[in-house]
Amino acid sequence: MKELIEYIATSLVADPKQVRVTQYRRGSMVTLKLQVAKEDMGRVIGKNGKVANAIRVLLRVAAAQEGKRATLDVDEPR
Amino acid sequence: MNNQRTSLEIIAPTVQEAIAKGLAELGVPEDAVHVEVLDEGSRGFLGLGSRHARVRLSLEDYTRDELGTQPTGVEESVKIESSSTVESTIESKPSPASSELTLEITRLTVQELLEKMKVKAEVTAQFNPEQDDNSKQSVLVNIQGNDLSILIGRQAETLNALQYIVGLIVCKELGKSIPISIDVEGYRSRREQQIRQLARRMADQAIKTGRRQVLEPMPSNERRLIHIELRDNPHVNTESIGEEPRRKVTIIPK
Repeated sequence: MKELIEYIATSLVADPKQVRVTQYRRGSMVTLKLQVAKEDMGRVIGKNGKVANAIRVLLRVAAAQEGKRATLDVDEPR
Repeated sequence: MNNQRTSLEIIAPTVQEAIAKGLAELGVPEDAVHVEVLDEGSRGFLGLGSRHARVRLSLEDYTRDELGTQPTGVEESVKIESSSTVESTIESKPSPASSELTLEITRLTVQELLEKMKVKAEVTAQFNPEQDDNSKQSVLVNIQGNDLSILIGRQAETLNALQYIVGLIVCKELGKSIPISIDVEGYRSRREQQIRQLARRMADQAIKTGRRQVLEPMPSNERRLIHIELRDNPHVNTESIGEEPRRKVTIIPK
């Protein structure tokens, strides 16, 4: 799941070096946190979150293949 | 795809990064490819007008099955030529080499995504053979495998998400946008037949009853099919009403 998000994010952003994906697990529930450079936020979120939602749909498939459920948060870098 | 010339065009902030990225993508050692620098890129001024570097990696007499083994007949040396004339990214008619590259990049992107989604499937890409001359050349991707219903999702939600993401990635790789349509086991063509049939049936009903027929909410590509199917019907007009994602087609008798 993490690799999927990393692959999509690094392929879409202008600054792939600043892509960070962290993964938290609680039972079968997985939370992934995606961080990208501030200038790239729009590229991974999209208008009305269109890109982020499409990524979530693909993430759902990846999670289902492992018998898990996953959510994706996109965070500003700190 | 035996003994076919394969090449990959990579865009990255620097020439070195582009070459590294390309080699990683192809999964071959550096001495198995011929490197051509298409654009060295520039830093620009105050962050304005900066261009990314573009390189093309070409493989010869190389098949994917030979991964890991040293292919024969491959150019041994890596030539880095920086061409003084910078090729334009926007070409009115794609050359055969660049169109082959478009297909390969699209196919590899879909394959990579499916792999990372842990979905086992065969991916093929081709240009749309039924293309009207006035529209842009579009790429058709077909995914074949066992039990791929998970890739379609409710109302093709997953398939559309995959198509959208692949479109974005390929657009970025090529530096230009190209229409891509992804199909799983002929799902889209079957659905297209169903939609056209539905359109004709509902039009008949509208004419028979003299009342407007409101269809179920549909995504834009499916609404488009209905408008096209009934465009030449002299007895009805079609119109889309409502807001996304609940926008729907109405068929109005004239």
